Amino acid sequence: MEEPTDLIRSARFRKEREADWLRLEALATKAETQGLRRMSFGEARDLAALYREATTSLAIAREISLDKGLLLYLEALTARAYLSVYAPQESARGIIGRFLSKSGPVAMRKSWFFVLLGFLSMGLGLLAGYLLYFDDPAWFYVLMPPELAGGRGPDATTDYLRSVIYQDDPDVSGLGAFATFLFSHNTRIAIFVFGLGVFLCAPAIALTFYNGLAIGAFVGLHVDRGLGWDLFGWLSIHGVTELSAICIACGGGIQLGAAVLFPVQNTRAEALRIAGRDAAKLAIIAAIMLIAAALIEGFGRQLIQDRNARLIIGWTIGGLWLMWFIRGGRAQS
Amino acid sequence: MKRRNKAKTAAPDPNVLLPPEGVPLHLAVAGMGARVVAQITDILITRIVASALVVLLAVMDLTSPQTLWAISALLFFIIRIPYYVLTELAWNGQTIGKRMLKIKVVSRDGLSLSAHALVVRNLMKEAEIFLPGTLLLTLDAASPIASLIALGWVIGTIVVPLTNKRRQRLGDMIAGTYVIDLPTPILLRDLAQSVPKPVKDKFVFLSHQLDHYGTLELQTLEDLLRAQENRPAMQTNARNKATLDSVIEKIRNKIGYADKVQPADSVAFLRAFYNAQRAHLEQKQLFGERRQDKFHADNVDQN
Repeated sequence: MEEPTDLIRSARFRKEREADWLRLEALATKAETQGLRRMSFGEARDLAALYREATTSLAIAREISLDKGLLLYLEALTARAYLSVYAPQESARGIIGRFLSKSGPVAMRKSWFFVLLGFLSMGLGLLAGYLLYFDDPAWFYVLMPPELAGGRGPDATTDYLRSVIYQDDPDVSGLGAFATFLFSHNTRIAIFVFGLGVFLCAPAIALTFYNGLAIGAFVGLHVDRGLGWDLFGWLSIHGVTELSAICIACGGGIQLGAAVLFPVQNTRAEALRIAGRDAAKLAIIAAIMLIAAALIEGFGRQLIQDRNARLIIGWTIGGLWLMWFIRGGRAQS
Repeated sequence: MKRRNKAKTAAPDPNVLLPPEGVPLHLAVAGMGARVVAQITDILITRIVASALVVLLAVMDLTSPQTLWAISALLFFIIRIPYYVLTELAWNGQTIGKRMLKIKVVSRDGLSLSAHALVVRNLMKEAEIFLPGTLLLTLDAASPIASLIALGWVIGTIVVPLTNKRRQRLGDMIAGTYVIDLPTPILLRDLAQSVPKPVKDKFVFLSHQLDHYGTLELQTLEDLLRAQENRPAMQTNARNKATLDSVIEKIRNKIGYADKVQPADSVAFLRAFYNAQRAHLEQKQLFGERRQDKFHADNVDQN
């Protein structure tokens, strides 16, 4: 019973390892503040090795030591080290590249059924709105939000409708503002249909259907005035991208709702988590498409006044999206 | 104490995370208050940056007001989700707001956060926080139904985290993540290490005297001693002295320690007792007998 040997076992245990723990603490702090990337090879290696040592120390300390201060310290130290060792190792650029080249289109193909349902909701809404308009033009006022119609309705003259489609000077009439508004409106719709899908699909489908109804009535109005093709061109140039984005967002929402409705052998939370893998990718694709649509809308629609050019550009871009979804990520798999 | 332990084994403790190394870590789930404050901080930061950019563009006078308006709308839209995803990716689950409040996103399965999880939890943030927030700001009395829906939505987003033990939002559930308080490791001095030899010889405890107490009492004594150590000024405090005296009296009665303890020696006595008691209990524990508290043996009469 002399000198340091009179220490009790757990104190000796601590004394032998304390230096390592302090070094680990310094390394973990460094990893947190500067990032693993900026640490030298030796430091990173030591961090991983010392972390594993600390987990062992913690496991042993829980068995042999009753020193609360030590146990709390080791607990916190191991947790901090764990968090810096198990940090995401990917760079933002790598993740974006992987998404674009592979995981995005693959997710689209995997959830083709839900995307189809999304397109179907919009398409049926469009058809219904179109037919309803021809049944009675008054439906237009019911279906179309007045702030979106921008003065266009069954009361407007054909010339006025035409003038909106073929704008000579966008800034004067405020079509630019209208375009941005439509963009933000449709963005909100896309977010809604995706987010609301969780509530058992119904709100997402209903909202997409309603959106289709409004467009259907709008198309009906123009077809009625013999402006069908002109409107088709006007809508095509960005609408192919924008409306597809809404349908895809709706598909993602339906996927989430379906997971809640039919969790099969998983719990509902678990099913939601699994469905979220693809649904989130659909949402990102929809977001990318919406931003692309906004760019097309901002520059393309005002600059290109020719109907055929609008049609060609709109559908070519649509075809490119389709190519991406069908071909993307196939070469690797 | 016993009852609490039973509850722990019945349901998995929400505060425990199992890393791949297999040693469970206790990480406290972050409170709602800290998370809300972090969220507000982040919103303020992103708004300020976006506004600064727009003002800069306006001052430089490069574009017409029309396009400026469009650009700012676009900016306010895209600065949201990408900001959260990229900061949480770069700082391993912390945005600037979370860094300031020392909270952090972790993955429930104990592995590192995946990009997917971060994207999902922040995408859902749009539906869970921003939309109801905007709705709340734009409430008007003219449309009571819309207001009611908005209110229901806001209440729903607040209620969801309160209904589960890990305080997960919907987005957290889908992503398989939750938010923890970042622990701070503070290495305190080992009390057992610093007992001078003469003191040790002065107070001798016999084995049967150390059979009365368990871990709980030992660690309570540890807290008391650490408090003495951290605030030396306390030792001259009359009330503190009375506390120490009553503690010593209790211990002496319990363990049957006959010698009187001088007032000047009170801390030294407690230290020596702590040391002996800890050595004894650790020894017992090593041989498979964990003593939770002083009720570890049923035949011991209650004090």
